[in-house]
Amino acid sequence: MPADEPAPLLAREPLEGAYVLLTFRHAETARAARAGQFVMIKAGTSPELPLRRPFSVMSVDRARQTFTLFLKAVGPGSRALAGLRVGEVAQCLGPLGRSFPPPGAGEEALLVAGGYGIAPFRLFCEELGTGPRARVFYGGRTGHDLQLRDRFADLKVPLLPATEDGSVGHRGRVTSALEAYLDGRPGPVRLYACGPPAMLQAVASLAGERGLEASVSLDPWMGCGLGTCLSCVVWTQEREEPRPHYRCACTEGPVFDAKTVVWPGEVTSLARRRPERSPA
Amino acid sequence: MNLSVEIAGLRLKNPLIAASGTFGYGVEYEGILDLSRLGGLVSKGLYLEPRDGCPPPRIVETPSGLLNAIGLQGVGVRAFVRDVLPRLLVHDTAIFVNVCGDTVEEYAEVARILEDAPGVAGLEINISCPNVKKGGMAFGGDPRMTHEVVAAVRKATLRPVIPKLSPNVADITVFARAAAEAGADALSCINTLLGLAIDVETARPALAFGTGGLSGPAIRPLAVRMAWQAARAVKIPVIGVGGIASARDALEFLIAGCRAVQVGTANFVNVGIYDRILADLGHYLERHGRTDINEVVATLSYPDSAPAPPRSE
Repeated sequence: MPADEPAPLLAREPLEGAYVLLTFRHAETARAARAGQFVMIKAGTSPELPLRRPFSVMSVDRARQTFTLFLKAVGPGSRALAGLRVGEVAQCLGPLGRSFPPPGAGEEALLVAGGYGIAPFRLFCEELGTGPRARVFYGGRTGHDLQLRDRFADLKVPLLPATEDGSVGHRGRVTSALEAYLDGRPGPVRLYACGPPAMLQAVASLAGERGLEASVSLDPWMGCGLGTCLSCVVWTQEREEPRPHYRCACTEGPVFDAKTVVWPGEVTSLARRRPERSPA
Repeated sequence: MNLSVEIAGLRLKNPLIAASGTFGYGVEYEGILDLSRLGGLVSKGLYLEPRDGCPPPRIVETPSGLLNAIGLQGVGVRAFVRDVLPRLLVHDTAIFVNVCGDTVEEYAEVARILEDAPGVAGLEINISCPNVKKGGMAFGGDPRMTHEVVAAVRKATLRPVIPKLSPNVADITVFARAAAEAGADALSCINTLLGLAIDVETARPALAFGTGGLSGPAIRPLAVRMAWQAARAVKIPVIGVGGIASARDALEFLIAGCRAVQVGTANFVNVGIYDRILADLGHYLERHGRTDINEVVATLSYPDSAPAPPRSE
């Protein structure tokens, strides 16, 4: 069960630019978090607005009861968190949401990350351990966006960087690096993706074309993390359902089976067909 | 130290109620928050049938506020009674259901279905949601419609009927009186304020629905003023709601004349807020040499020279 408790900041490692690694003490998240799960967290313990923000758990230290976030300070919520000093406290609710499903026996896990979408894959690689093989495709516009590219070496997981400007690794989008790998006819694979919406959609359509299973981690605006505010809804449609439904990314995601997600662009036509109220 | 209050013939263990739309159906908090700590909770708004609600984005933050257009996404009253209510009833707290309708008949039908459901403490009548095309604020923005909806629900149920009034009116006391005359047992004051946030880069509304309802500390002074006006205008109890995040905030409403309060947006920010508010209410009573929270209700000493709305006869 998630716990809502003050979480003191124990370590802070600034990376380049607006990127930072933050390590908080929060016993329940450290104990129970699985890769793909997240915390709702804000700087300070005030019950006043602004709302907390969701961040994927990047790693945990069960012995020390800590977890680490990798974030880019882009707005007021993440900037306030990134600005915390060691010893200061955040209000943290976690762990939340559904984790990545494990790959099938003999399947290679292909982890496709865009920018700070890399965060949950560090924990995922630790979980996969010496069992099924994993391979990380890590993309950004420039090398600057690949702040964690040296942080997988200890796990002996192959990491393939891709940058749109070609400054590091494969020149082009991370999905073209993935496509090139798939063209080389690897053995059985399963796709996992975390990053910007366009990248997720590209991975989903690639998986669809090639008949591959894919899990995507979605990141819509979230209010509560518990499925009560109904802000972070995503259209999804299970195989047996006659029409899509809004599902909360916080409780029924953030990791979804890519096949079930109704992507932007697909939504308009569905919304036009969809009745004002569903049949009883 | 007594924190229990009475609303519409119901004894609540304390004056803190979780506000509709900010607490899901309550069961989401199982294992995270002890629901028996709450005086009560109000479910997400329920129609006869399930509803999709508005397309996202559904929320945007504004200074000290939250603008939302969720659009009353919900499972429908029958699924609530069948699947959710039994799980709620194991908790020792008052369960209120927020009743919605596109038509007067739908409100009454939802109330009738709840009449057969055991354990519902009372019905909060949603005549004030700004985020639906039909019903909602249309009923709460016209005193004759307010009267009609409340009277129809009154006929359909023996349970306490608590209309939730809209702040998007010129004079809330007109609506408070209309609701009281139609047989309401108490009033919730207030729902969200109609707002519009614009994304200046795209020159489009920040919310997909367009306008939204503003909540949070930004609206508290408005809510206190309107709850105060309503409490003076009618004899039935008023439940204050709007931007409460602390005991101090709750006390404003109690002093203004409310018999209980609802905590809304703050639920999203801190799940453990109820224990903190209850403890601080206790400290406040101690500090003021009181032993009963009801002693602070309607103790506002308002300057004689300042304009105040008339009291009910």
